[in-house]
Amino acid sequence: MSEIDAGPATVVAPPAVRARAGRRGFGRLLRTQPLGAIAAVVIVLFVAAAALAPFIAPFDPTAQHRDAFLAVPGSPYLMGTDDLGRDIFSRVLYGARTSLLVAVCTLVAGGVIGMVIGVVSGYYAGGWVDTLLQRIMDTLMAIPGIVLLLFIAALLGPSIRNTVIALSLLVIPTFNRVSRGEMLRIREELYVESARASGCSTWRILRRHGLPNLLAPILVVASLTFAIIIIAESALSFLGIGTPPPTPSWGAMLSDGSRYMEIAPWMVVFPGGALTLGVLAFNLLGDALRDFFDPKQSTR
Amino acid sequence: MASPAAHREDTAPAPGPPLMEVTDLVKHFPITRGLLRRTVGHVRAVDGVSFTIGAGETVGLVGESGSGKSTVARLVLRLLDPTSGSVKFDGQEIAALSQRELTPLRRNMQIVFQDPVSSFDPRMTICSVITEPLEAQGISSGQQARDRAAELLDLVGLSSRDLDKYPHQFSGGQAQRIGIARALATNPRLLVCDEAVSALDVSVQAQVLNLLRKLQVELGLSYLFIAHDLNVVRYISDRICVMYLGRVVEQGPADAVMTDPKHPYTRTLAGAIAADPRTGGGTRRVVVRGEMPSPSNPPPGCPFHPRCPQAFDRCSTEVPAPLPAGEGGRTASCHLLDITAVNGKAVGR
Amino acid sequence: MIEYVVRRVLYGLLVIALVTVFVFLTLRLIPGDVVRLQLADAPGVTQEQLDARAAALGLDQPLVAQLLKFLGDAFTGDFGISFQSQQPVTSIIAERLPITLQLGLMALIISIALGVPLGLLAAYKQNSWLDQSLRVVSVAGLSIPNFWLGLLLVTYLAIWFAWSPPLVYRSPTEDLVSNLTQMALPALALGVSGMAAIARMLRSSLLEVMRSNFVRTVRAKGAPERTVLLTHAVRNSLVPVFSLIGVQVGGILGGTVILESIFAIPGMGSMIFQAVQMRDYPVVLGAVVVFGAVFVTVNLVVDLLYGVIDPRIRYA
Repeated sequence: MSEIDAGPATVVAPPAVRARAGRRGFGRLLRTQPLGAIAAVVIVLFVAAAALAPFIAPFDPTAQHRDAFLAVPGSPYLMGTDDLGRDIFSRVLYGARTSLLVAVCTLVAGGVIGMVIGVVSGYYAGGWVDTLLQRIMDTLMAIPGIVLLLFIAALLGPSIRNTVIALSLLVIPTFNRVSRGEMLRIREELYVESARASGCSTWRILRRHGLPNLLAPILVVASLTFAIIIIAESALSFLGIGTPPPTPSWGAMLSDGSRYMEIAPWMVVFPGGALTLGVLAFNLLGDALRDFFDPKQSTR
Repeated sequence: MASPAAHREDTAPAPGPPLMEVTDLVKHFPITRGLLRRTVGHVRAVDGVSFTIGAGETVGLVGESGSGKSTVARLVLRLLDPTSGSVKFDGQEIAALSQRELTPLRRNMQIVFQDPVSSFDPRMTICSVITEPLEAQGISSGQQARDRAAELLDLVGLSSRDLDKYPHQFSGGQAQRIGIARALATNPRLLVCDEAVSALDVSVQAQVLNLLRKLQVELGLSYLFIAHDLNVVRYISDRICVMYLGRVVEQGPADAVMTDPKHPYTRTLAGAIAADPRTGGGTRRVVVRGEMPSPSNPPPGCPFHPRCPQAFDRCSTEVPAPLPAGEGGRTASCHLLDITAVNGKAVGR
Repeated sequence: MIEYVVRRVLYGLLVIALVTVFVFLTLRLIPGDVVRLQLADAPGVTQEQLDARAAALGLDQPLVAQLLKFLGDAFTGDFGISFQSQQPVTSIIAERLPITLQLGLMALIISIALGVPLGLLAAYKQNSWLDQSLRVVSVAGLSIPNFWLGLLLVTYLAIWFAWSPPLVYRSPTEDLVSNLTQMALPALALGVSGMAAIARMLRSSLLEVMRSNFVRTVRAKGAPERTVLLTHAVRNSLVPVFSLIGVQVGGILGGTVILESIFAIPGMGSMIFQAVQMRDYPVVLGAVVVFGAVFVTVNLVVDLLYGVIDPRIRYA
């Protein structure tokens, strides 16, 4: 799972990001980054599917239709049924819910913690706080992503909350690295010195000048990290230590399907396709945002 | 540039204790190297600087880039922590205060930077830029602070219509006026101008200098005015300190120092002005030989001796102490002023 | 230079030690007594038996003493005895690590062997339809979860060609063909995202080099475009691609956990998965430390070689 460790930072060469976007920014994003715009539409569809799953889904995702085990895709089962006779289309929709829920929670928890660590560390770069925090981050990063996830999630036991905790540990170093690097740059900016001369406390400087100026690079990282989280959540569920059954999740569906793949490939194809499409959309959006914010890329 | 005549009749600084008193200020930046980050040397950015600023007085600090003048600006405001020495503001020692203890004092001393635009957060409106010191110090906020910002823009010659614009929408001169407005927000008593007009066109320079002088009269401000351009410093300052390699080599009343420099370095600087086509001079030109040595490896003895046209053997061994060099408390740190030292030696060429 | 190498090696060792401490403390801090978990299935266990077992495992010692003992043992290559198989963890790892390294190496070779030509092609045909579709393919390659790709490969090879990889592992010395056919699919699945990342990175760094002044000079001398690209530009644009490899290794190592399980390959990945499920703590600990050590070592080597490839890097 290369994406998990590669992390956005490899894909994002440290961007000299400067956002002068303003409110007209979104329109310009749509015009200059058509692929990103398509990705944004796909993401909106995903969110809609997740939010409206109870209204769209033709069947209860956990209902077992005894007359239709491993039914071929068609009518009335759009994507077929699984080995227990559950409607795969409905489960894919509800699975989007699980994925998005876990990803949003992880992004908020891990993203905020990683940013706070990175910002504080970057502002006090070279001090003992920085050294201590960065050693911890290096430690977390030295363990391959899935191995770390497996380790933490297995110890905590399968539940959505524990999945979020494990995934947060995975994304904290990424956000830390990006925000620390940006903070190192911001720290040298004259406006930070001038804020200090104005009598601003360190906390006020970090809050008013540090965080807002970090926002553009963080947005890029958040989008690319979202893709990573979705894959990682599925991987955990695939291994049976993520989202516990019967809650529908794409990873667990793939795991179930892997046992019937030769007689019922649709059990693997559809949830995996949804997963890949979601990941693809967030990767494309992240790419588009990076190009959008990076003045060097605009000539391409 | 206006003629460097004495611009105020009452040039005598007000009697009483000075507003700021700087004594033996030192800042050494360590140079580290190797596995264990051993300190292998120091950059002696500021190496024993003393001066005073009286209430309502303007003290000019001149020198080439690398002479340590901007470091002095940051030290007296405690944006950097001094290695040693004393900085007294209004009689209170501030060199050892914690940042928290300093916060209430900051309203009395503010700074105007060389590059105004990059001293503003690009995401903040002009209103937020100007009101930031007010809010940070808990002086005022909300509509009250906004009214104050409008008042300040008016004071520096801009319009309150500009309050909701962003920094990059202004020209250099306008931006510097905003920088001044921000610095004045808390009604400070001392304004440190760090190369505040150096980046501006000459005509705009004059406007901003005149604004600073107008504000000084109206608000009773004291200035520490830092620049590499002697003309500018002479125009605005009551007294001048000339810095070279982290030390003040000469100081005294502005016109006296400029018209009759006592230190060879000041003489070369003044000569450079005389040769400046803008002043129409150019008859008398003293060229400074070579480049300023690195402050990480200063020469022994007088810091200026490797470039000094009048250096003699004592200059390379002994650091000259400030010697009285005329009226108004003038001093210059040069062995040439020590009569016994130059006894029997030809002075000058 | 030597000082830099020494510093990097020492720091790498420190990180590995920190990984060990982290894993050890996490295991101990998580609720759930190791002894009880281990003896949970045995009925009628007395407190004496529990205590005796704890003492045998050294769990009655203070935490710090346990940690120091573990660290000391780990550095001499002793990770204890597996709860499950009662074998020394070190010998289990020694048996399985080469298998995973072989799989990882194959994946790495695949990602380079496919990624470099694709990146070159995309840059050579810049902005053509080929470049555009390669761009889409590479983003897609980065987005496909490798375990899904692995499943699809097995499924459709079986459905369309009635071919399945062998399900019993043979070592390369025992039966090279069987070994390689079993490893090929998981290695391909693991290598695809690396391939995509390398192709993307190579394309953009190559285009950057092509715009640089020195390439313009070579062109001005009248060298044909193909020569410019292949001899001058490629060499310089491979430098950032090389730095990507260290990161790829982390992904590949992590990916082995699922793919080894899917393809029944008895390597480190499937071992750590089973050990986690069985709560076989000594094995988990040893495996995580070894994974960390491999990852840190690869990155160290990449960083050091980076300086050899790119003479502009100076060791300060």
